[in-house]
Amino acid sequence: MIPVSRPAEPEEPVHSLQRLWRGGPAAWNAALTLPQVLIPFFLLAATAPFITQYFVDNYGWTGGEFWVRILTTCAMYACLALALNLVVGYAGLLNLGFIAFFAIGSYAYALVASDQLNHHFALLPALATVVLVSIGFALLVGVPALRLRGDYLAILTLAFGLIMRELTLDLDRPPTLFGHQFGPDGLNITGGTEGIHLVDPFRLPQWVPLVHGVGLQSRTYYWIFLGFLAVIVFTLLRWRHTRTGRAWIAIREDELAARAMGVNVFKYRLLAFGASSVAAGITGMIDAAYIHNAFPGNYDIQQTVLVFIMIILGGLGSIPGAIIGAVLVTVLPFLLQQLVLYKYVVFSLLLILVMIFRPEGLLGTVSIRPRASLGGTVELLTAEPETPPDASIPTLGESAAELEAATGAIVEPPPPEQQ
Amino acid sequence: MEHFLGLFAQYLVNGLETGSLYALIALGYTLVYGILEMLNFAHGDVFMVGGFLGAGVAGVLVSQSGVALLPAPLVVLLMMVVAMAGAGLLGVGIERFAYRPLRNANRLAPLITAVGVSLLLESVVQVQVSPAPVTVRSDPLIPLTVLRLGGITVPPSSLLLFVVAIALMAALDRFIFATRFGSAMRATAQDREAATFMGIDVDRIIVVTFLIGSALAGMGGVLYGLQFATVNFFMGYLLGIKAFTAAVIGGIGNVRGAMAGGLVLGVLENLGGGFVSTAFQDSFAFLALILVLMLRPQGLFGQAQADRA
Repeated sequence: MIPVSRPAEPEEPVHSLQRLWRGGPAAWNAALTLPQVLIPFFLLAATAPFITQYFVDNYGWTGGEFWVRILTTCAMYACLALALNLVVGYAGLLNLGFIAFFAIGSYAYALVASDQLNHHFALLPALATVVLVSIGFALLVGVPALRLRGDYLAILTLAFGLIMRELTLDLDRPPTLFGHQFGPDGLNITGGTEGIHLVDPFRLPQWVPLVHGVGLQSRTYYWIFLGFLAVIVFTLLRWRHTRTGRAWIAIREDELAARAMGVNVFKYRLLAFGASSVAAGITGMIDAAYIHNAFPGNYDIQQTVLVFIMIILGGLGSIPGAIIGAVLVTVLPFLLQQLVLYKYVVFSLLLILVMIFRPEGLLGTVSIRPRASLGGTVELLTAEPETPPDASIPTLGESAAELEAATGAIVEPPPPEQQ
Repeated sequence: MEHFLGLFAQYLVNGLETGSLYALIALGYTLVYGILEMLNFAHGDVFMVGGFLGAGVAGVLVSQSGVALLPAPLVVLLMMVVAMAGAGLLGVGIERFAYRPLRNANRLAPLITAVGVSLLLESVVQVQVSPAPVTVRSDPLIPLTVLRLGGITVPPSSLLLFVVAIALMAALDRFIFATRFGSAMRATAQDREAATFMGIDVDRIIVVTFLIGSALAGMGGVLYGLQFATVNFFMGYLLGIKAFTAAVIGGIGNVRGAMAGGLVLGVLENLGGGFVSTAFQDSFAFLALILVLMLRPQGLFGQAQADRA
């Protein structure tokens, strides 16, 4: 055998955690999405209201119900962050009108479950309405927008968000076009700047335990958000192994190559866009039921930027990253009271600094660092070599050692500190 | 019919006024896009900062009782100079610290940073200067008597806006198409690498581009403040997007197109708001944007390029 000069094989670190640490974000990501990590996480998260309650009762924590409200906000933003991560991190589409889909879900639910139009749908028909309306709007925006290049798509979705905003603000009276009034005089659809009040809460069946009682409002919706979060996480994890997931990753890595391999880029992008919009819409619906109203001030552009900060901080394309980012961005202003006023100053600075110094975020597998030109493919997200999709998540039976061996073998280049 | 024509003419004039403001700001978007192929989201907020700088100068030089401490034209001139200089430097600073480190990254990275810079400027002004709209003490600076031309009324502030904007655009046009530096800018826009080979200092071109674009936006901020007598931290957002729309309508990267696009958009919006529906005036601009992007992504005056859509 001809001797080939190779970099010396790094010595196997003794401890498995040490090896995991050396594996870098791709390995951390894979480890954090293992079922044996995720299932305890969700179980622990589900008991969190009892834990805070325990501390309030026994250790004199102040706030009481307030803690559950923070948890609820965290869970809601985690849902939004994962929805946005799907469209930005997976499909590489910069959807700046994202929060409009959250608003659409809220308003759609508020319209069919309040006195505004005198409809009071039950839970499932209301959910179906929200899903259908979200899909409708996603198609309306997605079909034209997804044919455009990255930054045009960003501006078009932004324009869509602004049009939706204007509609919600102005549809408290019948629209008038060319001096012709559409609809009767008293027509008030969106409630204008007031929004829609007294939206029905979810009516859960009596057999559901632990949620019926005075003052359990926040806790109930916390579990609902958390349940929906689990659904999103599970769906995303399953999706990565399918043709769809592989297509998304292929498109994100190199659109031209994906096209050449016969991937229908438009179709898979539309699917990502639609799935993200539906997830945002359902989150909006739960939120409207939770806070009892759909208020236009909750859906401004700063909200979109906030969710962007969450996924960029956590790492584009990373599921645990998006959840961690959502929790960090939600909890930080509560912990540092002085921060409240400067919330957006700090977070926008953070966004800029992360983009410049660590664009892949905490756990990102998608790198948007500069890279050597590959001639011609300058589209959207480009990634450094990362875990191939089919090896990124081991199945339930695999041991941790096998996982690390697998990820260690494909994470490249070898850690530089091994000289 | 006479009534209709009168209204039409009035909307047309109003449209040219707002349109010249859009054009002034659209130039910044189009210059930067032409050279860096990046969408400078923070540009609208540079316009906003310019407006606040102008308001600050007016606040210092106009006493509480509403008397200007210096001759009115001098105060207005000072507002313009301070705002243009301040906004220009701000633009250069943004480029240096937020965009330059990402210049060779892929398209998404600077776009996200730009969104961050935009939010940063807005929130700093909101927290440090004023969360509420700030009055621009323009009453002693600009006569309030409305000029009448036939049936059309024009406030002097709008006339000032229109004249200054057109003059600046003409000057910029000469600068780009008739000077050595301008041809270096055009060369850089065409092919950055080739321009480097020709001995053009691309970094300098980019700095000057940001300086010019931002200074124009600063001037836009002053003119806006003089016309509406109020500025707020949020004003750059909507106006920035409309100006970007104007740049796209004119063909992004195309300087003359941006000027024309601004005027077209202003007129379109005013006619739409006047004749179709006042409530949805803003939506017309965005519908126009969506239609242009769909049907003619190279803009009304741009040339078709395979990779532009």
